[in-house]
Amino acid sequence: MKKRNKKLIEYLFLLFIVLIVVAVFVAHREKPVAASFLKGPEDISRARIGVQLGTTSDLIATDEEKNGATVVRFSKTADAIQAMMKDQLDCVLVDSMTAGAFADANPGISIMESNYPVEEMAIAISKDNPILKDKINRALALMREDGTYQSIRDNYFGDDKGSDPYIPQDVDRSNGTLVAVTNATFEPYEYIENGKIVGFDVDIAQAICDHMGYELEMNDIEFDAIITAVQSGKADIGIAGMTVTEDRLKNIDFSDIYAREGGLSILVRNGKSAGGMNFKAKLVQNFLEESRWSFLLNGLATTIIIAIIASVLGIVLGSLIAFGRTTADMTGEYKIMNAILKCYLTIIRGTPAVIQLLIIYYVIFASSNVNKVLIAGIAFGLNSAAYVAEIMRSGIMSIDKGQFEAGRSLGFSYGKTLWYFILPQAIRNVLPALGNEFIVLIKETSISGYIGIMDLTRAGDFIRSRTYEAFIPLIAVALIYLVIVIFLSKGVSLMEEKLKTSSR
Amino acid sequence: MENNVIIRVEGLEKSFGDNKVLKGITTEIRKGEVVVILGPSGCGKSTFLRCMNMLETPTGGKVFLDSTELTDPNCNLDRTRERMAMVFQHFNLFPHLTVLKNLTIGPEKLKKVPSTEAEKRAKEMLSKMGLGDKCNHYPGELSGGQKQRVAIARALMMDPEIILFDEPTSALDPEMVGEVLELMKNLAKEGMTMACVTHEMGFAKEVATRVIFLDNGVIAEDGTPEEVFNNPKNPRLRDFLSKIL
Repeated sequence: MKKRNKKLIEYLFLLFIVLIVVAVFVAHREKPVAASFLKGPEDISRARIGVQLGTTSDLIATDEEKNGATVVRFSKTADAIQAMMKDQLDCVLVDSMTAGAFADANPGISIMESNYPVEEMAIAISKDNPILKDKINRALALMREDGTYQSIRDNYFGDDKGSDPYIPQDVDRSNGTLVAVTNATFEPYEYIENGKIVGFDVDIAQAICDHMGYELEMNDIEFDAIITAVQSGKADIGIAGMTVTEDRLKNIDFSDIYAREGGLSILVRNGKSAGGMNFKAKLVQNFLEESRWSFLLNGLATTIIIAIIASVLGIVLGSLIAFGRTTADMTGEYKIMNAILKCYLTIIRGTPAVIQLLIIYYVIFASSNVNKVLIAGIAFGLNSAAYVAEIMRSGIMSIDKGQFEAGRSLGFSYGKTLWYFILPQAIRNVLPALGNEFIVLIKETSISGYIGIMDLTRAGDFIRSRTYEAFIPLIAVALIYLVIVIFLSKGVSLMEEKLKTSSR
Repeated sequence: MENNVIIRVEGLEKSFGDNKVLKGITTEIRKGEVVVILGPSGCGKSTFLRCMNMLETPTGGKVFLDSTELTDPNCNLDRTRERMAMVFQHFNLFPHLTVLKNLTIGPEKLKKVPSTEAEKRAKEMLSKMGLGDKCNHYPGELSGGQKQRVAIARALMMDPEIILFDEPTSALDPEMVGEVLELMKNLAKEGMTMACVTHEMGFAKEVATRVIFLDNGVIAEDGTPEEVFNNPKNPRLRDFLSKIL
């Protein structure tokens, strides 16, 4: 009877899981959503508007907010469009040139004619660098004279799009490297194709470098981080179809205008379904087309590298802090060191990891040229150290005082006693807690995208922004994390088992 | 090294906060002596023993090992502790190390004895104690008596000049007390200098060369076992003995 009950519970549990999976799939199935209510551009003041944070669209939408509109700000326009297709928004405001690309990619979207003012775009340069500004302005002027500018323009916006791509000139690049930041989500200005950042702005930047004799290094970061990056010296220039505004001029300088575009467009839902793509076709689109799987693979590698750097740093630093703290507690000396360490633990454990990451990247490593992945590893390592320290400390405290006395009475010094006798036992006691800390750490690295690292999460986001498909990339990324964590847990329990048998 | 004195204690005092446990103890332990320290519970026996190797830091007085002053703040206690081993009431074996490793880690790490040599000696010592088959066991697999004998072997591996025993049989089941006392007796016969806090009166009578009775933080009586047990002068000692014997 008991056995049968057990079986029943197991079957019920299985049924429960199956029901959840089915429910998710059903909920996910494309439902036709009615067209947006907007009849003309004037209706936008009553609409729910989606924009990309910090863009010109954001500025315009903020004005509409005063007239009664609701504005939702996203870090990617593609996310805003997904929200609109799920009827969470009525329209999305984007600049006109990228609007075409979005409408082409999604048959459920139409462009509503509007007459927003023309946008004038310029390159963001630090206020501390007037020489660079001069050089760039001179290069821009030269490019207009020799026809380079026009041929790049024609390649993106002319009637024969793509017929005459700009090829980097074979010039002497000994003057240095120009570090540029952009936000590669504005096709055709800047976007990612086959893993590379390409687009009109990129070619302009390349041509400028060709004129100045510089190497170009393009980096893809969040749009709202571009100004900070240029201001802090992380990047020399920001080139992302940026319009010159009063607010921006307070923080950075701009080059001469390099492009004028036809303002903003309103994207609306037209009520058509996105097309009957079956699940298999979606899988192909999300993973195989443009070898998108390789983003996940590279992202996974990056995530693992960050996690490894962080856990090594976390263990070493955390253990040292734990030693310091326990020594201070046991001897009643080293009061100042103890206070400093306590302060460190309080700050690290009392502030969000994202903020710590941003502070370390934009403030502490502001003007250095250290690899981003390494910086992320250091940031997460410093974070993890605080938690490891407390775990280790509790482990050391859990060891019987007699062990310590036995070590000392044999003639082992304080440090050697810790190393040979206390630490091995302490680690065995806290191994489950340490394992848990590393599981948390792996998942925490998913915020690396905030400083523009293409980690696993960001890779999924990237696929999402290209395919307008939320379900598959997100589930794929979640599954990959899950698999890593399962393996890690398994490893920890194997180690526990091994340590247990060795002392039985 | 006058008169072969190994440990000299001069006016030793120890307080824990306001509680003054040792109130001025002066004595010597000579080479080859087996000194048993007796006294009612809470009289400071263990504290006295632990002050000898500075596991407790005295609050007053001086402790010497040969001519080295242990109470000197500049004294390298790690070096002096190598010369005076300690055996604890609760054994304090290292549970994460095998019996063999418990014995060899001291000589290997502190005296740089090659591990093959240390292992050879440890194995010999263990077989002499009848523990030869326990080399690769962990302390958790041993009985209390076996654990304490291993702890004594661990102490011997450091070739100490004196061994301090802190109630070595108090945590043992009665049937295991004998094997540990037997081992201690043999050590005494071989001429090992020992200071032992214990409640084993039989051991004190039979093996001790000197008995110290501590009461209320001072030495109340100090003499041969015959003097102390057969002709106690101190009334507190008489009272104590009448309760115990």
